[in-house]
Amino acid sequence: MSKIKIATDWLAGCAGCHMSLLDIDERIVKLLESVEFTSSPVTDLKHPPEDGVTIGILEGAVCNTHNVEVAKEMRKRCQILIAIGDCATFGGVPAMRNLVGTQEALKRAYIETESVVGGLIPGSSELGEPLDTVTGVDKVVKVDVFIPGCPPSADALFFALSELLAGRTPVILPPEYLKYD
Amino acid sequence: MSQVIVTIDNIEVKVRPGTTILAAAKEAGIDIPTLCNHRALSPTGACRVCVVEVEGQRTLQAACVFPVAEGMKIKTDSDRVVKARKLVLDMIFAERNHFCPFCEASGDCELQNLGYRYGIDHWAYETYLKPYPIDATRQFFLMDHNRCILCGRCIRACDELVGNHTLGLRQRGTRSMVGADTDTPFGESTCISCGTCLQVCPTGAIFDGRSSYMGREVQTEHIKSTCSQCSIGCGIEIATRGGNVLRVKGDWDAEVNKGLLCKKGRFEKLHDGRKRVEVPLLRQGGGLQAVSWDQALKATAERVKESDAEGVGVLTSSNATNEALYMLSALTREMKVTNIGLLNGVSPGLSGIRRGALADIAKGDVILAVGADPVRNQPVASFLIKRAVDKGARLIVVDDADNDLSCLATMKFGVPDVGRAVDVAARAENTVVIYGERVPSSAVGTLETLRQRAVFIALEPGVNTQAAVAFGLKNGFKSSAVKTLFVLFGEEQWDGMDVKLGEIGEDAFVTVVSSYISPLTDRADVVLPMAIWSERSGTLTNVEGRVQKVRAAVYPEGEAKPDWEIISLLAGMLGKKFDESPDKISDRAIEALKGGGIHRE
Ligand code: SF4
Ligand code: SF4
Ligand code: SF4
Repeated sequence: MSKIKIATDWLAGCAGCHMSLLDIDERIVKLLESVEFTSSPVTDLKHPPEDGVTIGILEGAVCNTHNVEVAKEMRKRCQILIAIGDCATFGGVPAMRNLVGTQEALKRAYIETESVVGGLIPGSSELGEPLDTVTGVDKVVKVDVFIPGCPPSADALFFALSELLAGRTPVILPPEYLKYD
Repeated sequence: MSQVIVTIDNIEVKVRPGTTILAAAKEAGIDIPTLCNHRALSPTGACRVCVVEVEGQRTLQAACVFPVAEGMKIKTDSDRVVKARKLVLDMIFAERNHFCPFCEASGDCELQNLGYRYGIDHWAYETYLKPYPIDATRQFFLMDHNRCILCGRCIRACDELVGNHTLGLRQRGTRSMVGADTDTPFGESTCISCGTCLQVCPTGAIFDGRSSYMGREVQTEHIKSTCSQCSIGCGIEIATRGGNVLRVKGDWDAEVNKGLLCKKGRFEKLHDGRKRVEVPLLRQGGGLQAVSWDQALKATAERVKESDAEGVGVLTSSNATNEALYMLSALTREMKVTNIGLLNGVSPGLSGIRRGALADIAKGDVILAVGADPVRNQPVASFLIKRAVDKGARLIVVDDADNDLSCLATMKFGVPDVGRAVDVAARAENTVVIYGERVPSSAVGTLETLRQRAVFIALEPGVNTQAAVAFGLKNGFKSSAVKTLFVLFGEEQWDGMDVKLGEIGEDAFVTVVSSYISPLTDRADVVLPMAIWSERSGTLTNVEGRVQKVRAAVYPEGEAKPDWEIISLLAGMLGKKFDESPDKISDRAIEALKGGGIHRE
């Protein structure tokens, strides 16, 4: 039996959710008997293979045009898209920016910071354009499974993957695996 | 009384007619979720989280307001119910900015808990993603409209429990906002910062500034105690973490206050910035030097032993436990010291009166307040008065001074006209007389004419004043005669003291038991560090004569000791041993209070 392919990527996140994913510890060995991690921020391959994967996992909120591209590419190349963490689910910590406005936030971070002298807001085509509002992933592409949490626990992630591998959808997280913080 | 039988999730329960479905379900051991409902507040059915299916009813009904009837069949957990609850939760989450990772309430939030219970794993509806205002104009706590779910608990608490009527809902639909005095920043509004709204808010919309993000309920320890900021003696719950007091809450189960607290009890003591006395101090070579407890106590004891009884004066704060006051009184008697004074005034003794409980205020149709200003001095008592006035009771205020109750009064008289006020009160069916230290002796007889038809509540100034008086610690202190002075000063503020310390002779030897550094400790020859309200155990007597437990929530700062222990150690040095355990001393103090007709069971 061929292995089920998984691709992961991160948007505006802190990598904490990926750490949680690694935190499933020795269970990952068992998992690797049936799945293959293709592309991810922690492997060499950075884009999901063009011939597609079964499961796509995204961490982080959508806060610039680059995030939108990554999310769209992942959506196009995976069958089941999982949003992991509060940022991907709701907007999370990056969404704090919505409370002050994007321009205000950039100014505060790059120009008005106490230690900065002659600061300037970085702008480059490679960075993507900041959006006016930070949102969860589902505001730009369809998401099939949400695993909120900041970060979600390794147990919650393992539970969701196990359910999917066993062919059980939709994934319904029991209350003990649900966490918004 | 007749009962009705209803079936809830196939369980039969017998309840009184008129019981709500929510209460009946509780009887049956079934938990129906709620958000806007609160045990201390009237139900409104606003949030719809508690909806249930009632057989024969076309729509789902809010369990918190729907009364049961004979034979009613109710389903609290059917698919239809669960679907409706999820819809309600989805809509509540969509309405404001519920980003839990940076919300103060996260972990203790009732909305969040319901989200978990009903498997809400993302926002089903488009959210606004626009910021709502945060009001930080009050000193102690904030209002973050981003987290408000418009449940109206705060509004009802301010109306029904505090009687302050500050809060309301303005605008409609998605623009609805909780506001003070229609639309005034909280800090400039009629809000008195009692924090009752903070205590009932189910989310992170209203939160305490000082303790925010410092610990969730499960990470904190909770110690039930009694507030020692005034003579009402409200039940409190002190939350601590790692040996620090985080916050104070009103105890919903406490008979005296049923959850209420005022600004003083909830916030002000936690923001007391005065410098503590941490170690015993002794004047040596002109300055105060840190010494051991033994050295400091010995210095005082030697001085007392050298003096004749007439030269010794004792002054005490009423903010001391029954135990400390009892021992101090026993000690002064033993030493034949009679020059004893209390640092605050007392209300005059009325004879032959029926002493009421605070709960009697609610029963009064006329409330006669004479020479007392609870709004300033015993705020929780003023809440009870405001509530009675809201229900139609008439308030008559008699006072020559400016009195903050006046704005609620139907009639106001000067003290010389107390007779006219008494005439009016005498015509009512249930009169409650509330009096304080500004009742002159000339008015006592007039008030006593009401003894047959009224209950009386003495709103004593200070804290444990009744006990102090009962133990004979107010004798008329004469500063001029004092050569050796002992002051149990505790946590008192250095201003507005009844006794003028400036009259104490320069060569007098002064021992001060104090929690904080003040001009008085600077003048002292011996300073003994005292534990504060959160660091001491014992009992206090409130205005009703109720003896209530004070429990230490944290260890005393530095080498400070609780009041009773200090008196006990000093007594030991003076050759009087209190052999009993603190509990025994407690019992003895309570016995003495009973003897004085103070203690109420
Ligand atoms: S109020 Fe409750 S649900 Fe809303 S952000 Fe705060 S913790 Fe989360
Ligand atoms: S501030 Fe709190 S108590 Fe008041 S309506 Fe909003 S959520 Fe309810
Ligand atoms: S603090 Fe007290 S007075 Fe102020 S709004 Fe809240 S309940 Fe009303």
